[in-house]
Amino acid sequence: MTKAAALAGHRNSLRGQVAIVGIGLSPVGKVPGRSPLWLAAAAAKQALADAGMQKSEIDGVLASPAMAAQFHRFSVAFSEYFGVRPTFSNTLQVSGATAATMFNIAAAAIHGGLAETVLVVGGDSLLSGLTPELALRSLTESRDQQYEMPFGIPVANTFAMTAHRHMKEFGTTPEQLAQVAVTQRRHAARTPGAQQTEPITVEDVLNSKMVTSPYRKLDCSLISDGGAAFVLTSAERAKALGIEKPIYILGGGECYTHEHIFLMPSLTTTGAVQSSQKAYAMAGYGPKDMHTAGVYDCFTGTVIMMLEDLGFCPKGEGGRFVADGQMTYGGQIPSNTHGGLLSFAHSGIPGSLFHFHEVVAQLRGECGARQVASAELGLVHSLGAGFATNATTILGTENTL
Amino acid sequence: MISLEDAARKPLPSPDADTAALWRGLRDGQLLLQHCDDCGNVQFYQQGFCRHCSGENLTHRPASGRGKVHSFSVVHRAPGPAFKNDVPYAVLLVELAEGPRMISTYTGGKPDEVTFDMDVVLVCEPVSDDIALPRFKRA
Repeated sequence: MTKAAALAGHRNSLRGQVAIVGIGLSPVGKVPGRSPLWLAAAAAKQALADAGMQKSEIDGVLASPAMAAQFHRFSVAFSEYFGVRPTFSNTLQVSGATAATMFNIAAAAIHGGLAETVLVVGGDSLLSGLTPELALRSLTESRDQQYEMPFGIPVANTFAMTAHRHMKEFGTTPEQLAQVAVTQRRHAARTPGAQQTEPITVEDVLNSKMVTSPYRKLDCSLISDGGAAFVLTSAERAKALGIEKPIYILGGGECYTHEHIFLMPSLTTTGAVQSSQKAYAMAGYGPKDMHTAGVYDCFTGTVIMMLEDLGFCPKGEGGRFVADGQMTYGGQIPSNTHGGLLSFAHSGIPGSLFHFHEVVAQLRGECGARQVASAELGLVHSLGAGFATNATTILGTENTL
Repeated sequence: MISLEDAARKPLPSPDADTAALWRGLRDGQLLLQHCDDCGNVQFYQQGFCRHCSGENLTHRPASGRGKVHSFSVVHRAPGPAFKNDVPYAVLLVELAEGPRMISTYTGGKPDEVTFDMDVVLVCEPVSDDIALPRFKRA
């Protein structure tokens, strides 16, 4: 019996129990005149149409919160706006890691009988719904009020300090950081609807304005509007519905190592090591088995560190791995093939839902000019708050069960 | 979502039951660390339990004020209007001689002087009647 089959038999494992049967995106980038709820609902409508389902078939709603909306219970406000009355619902908040936790928790809820069909949804309008100053300050509000915020520490600064230390310890260079932005911009050029598609060079990144060292403007993710939604249901129900290409949740893992950046155990090795190991173990697959990945990319250096911690290359080798073309087509793990937060769109927490949308579309073979050939296994890693929060989900086609 | 008015004000700590002693100490020119009488763990910041052994026998002792720059980042784009007039400034992740790390900012010099593992020393800078912020200058 293969390891995968052995794990599949584990009584509590989610492996292969739940499938993504519908995916949807709102317009992304600059979407003026649309509220976070509209963006979420537009994506949800598409996801239901994609699944060939009616909204009356939804009995669970999991949402991420929106900075540009005043609702304390976004999932509940969304349900009212969208016209559904779920019997399972929550608004999850672990910053940038929320997206992967939504899939893991939705799968657990379906597997555990709390719901049969869950809508995973998020939408926010950081670009049009907030002024640039309020958007920046809102991102900073997430830092600790006593020990971090009084020093004027943008959330970017926490990530910058990790990358800076990575450069000091492993010799990672500004050019290698820039290569992440260049690669992803090239990916975005082939993605319809991406916010930034103009090609850039390493020199362009190195000549862009310094934001918080070592990060320059083009090392930083975009500020965007946009929403995404997914319909998840049990593997049996996906079959009964005759879904053509269900994409299964094979494994999930999370890890939370600190709240304050000064209590991060190591600035250069993160909780992504544990979250991905848990996900790989549940899936019965390892990093070398993955065909494509969505790697959270709030900053260029974040991607380099994650390629290491997710097991795609050894610790300290991330910079060379990227410069060597290993995160793009023809390389070991084509990542962020839609352009990611750096070039596709970054509407706050929903930004990482776009990685899920891309990986599912890749596994369904629907990516046209940017399709990764024969992609059957994919990983999405979401993280947030200066690596305080990490969550990994592994997805696969029917062949990988 | 916060208002523009609030965004223009610098955030100040509001000491609570756990942390009042820390902020009182800083106002008086001392950085207090908690030493656990049960397991010997030294921690920053102040709280009701030892993070290592969950013991509650914690004693405040002033830190030496000496430390090293474990990492840093020079902020050129302010995180909102309140810090616009301060850029560029260096945010430091200081490793104190006693072990714990803390976030601070560099004072008494230009941000481009800061290097990894640079020796720094505490300076308590009053920012209101009740609050002094722990900053660090070159040792």
